[in-house]
Amino acid sequence: MAAEIPLALVVTGLCLGPFLLLGLIGTLWGFAYPFVFLWGMFTSGGKLDNMIEETNSRERSTKGSLGKDPLTTIDGGFRSDISEAGLVYASGVFGPSHWHLLIARFNNLFGGSVTIFQKVISAGRAEVMQRLRENALAAGWDEVINVRIDTADMTPQGMPTGAKGVEVFAYGTGIRYS
Amino acid sequence: MEQVVNGVLVVNTETIPGKLITETLGVVSGSTVRAKHLGKDIFAGLKNIVGGELVQYTELLQESRQEAVGRMVADAMSLGATAIVNVRFATSAITAGAAELFAYGTAVKYE
Repeated sequence: MAAEIPLALVVTGLCLGPFLLLGLIGTLWGFAYPFVFLWGMFTSGGKLDNMIEETNSRERSTKGSLGKDPLTTIDGGFRSDISEAGLVYASGVFGPSHWHLLIARFNNLFGGSVTIFQKVISAGRAEVMQRLRENALAAGWDEVINVRIDTADMTPQGMPTGAKGVEVFAYGTGIRYS
Repeated sequence: MEQVVNGVLVVNTETIPGKLITETLGVVSGSTVRAKHLGKDIFAGLKNIVGGELVQYTELLQESRQEAVGRMVADAMSLGATAIVNVRFATSAITAGAAELFAYGTAVKYE
């Protein structure tokens, strides 16, 4: 009889444990959210500008050291001295902050261009293209031809919950001159 | 990043620059659905509030894409191909935090 009470407790604990944990996380989330939101409100604009600036400077240094942009969208049939080829790709998932989402909602009310989203997505795209350049150069390719850029929404349709993000994926064929 | 995966050359151009394609063997594809564990999802959710890059999901998609390419290459090898040309990728989000990655291309033999 004395041994059965702890057993029952253990069973209830095991059954309810995950739910209690989820509840705890939910409560913590509820407390932390306003602070994180405020923090994001004050920092996200500056962070975005920093990211754009940082990407731009890396892009300038890559282009400066090569004398040109290593990425082209053409098929590369213009060169006959190519010895090797292979796939290169780079990706990143970028999301607007909740503060930016709120601004965008106001923008939507009045129509016109939703500049804040445009800024977030183009910053992500520039970053991914720079990663592609770096990946290609690190793998020893001289140039990347037939570059394609894909953008996929990470938030499924009809699912308001979950992280809001856009995946940018750039790929191309790296070539090496003989 | 390995360009020549298990001896199969992978490019996204219609022809292989500098090589001659002798035979096409049909479409090969590989797909995968992956998700991160709850902890990383929660962390990504927190990161989402302040915006910026969601590193957890970048990682997730990178791993998945590698797996999809690996499966496509295995498919090509079973056909006896030496290269895959005109490779295309597709991504679809099934639920929040899980993504399906699909890679497809044409298996060929080159000399």
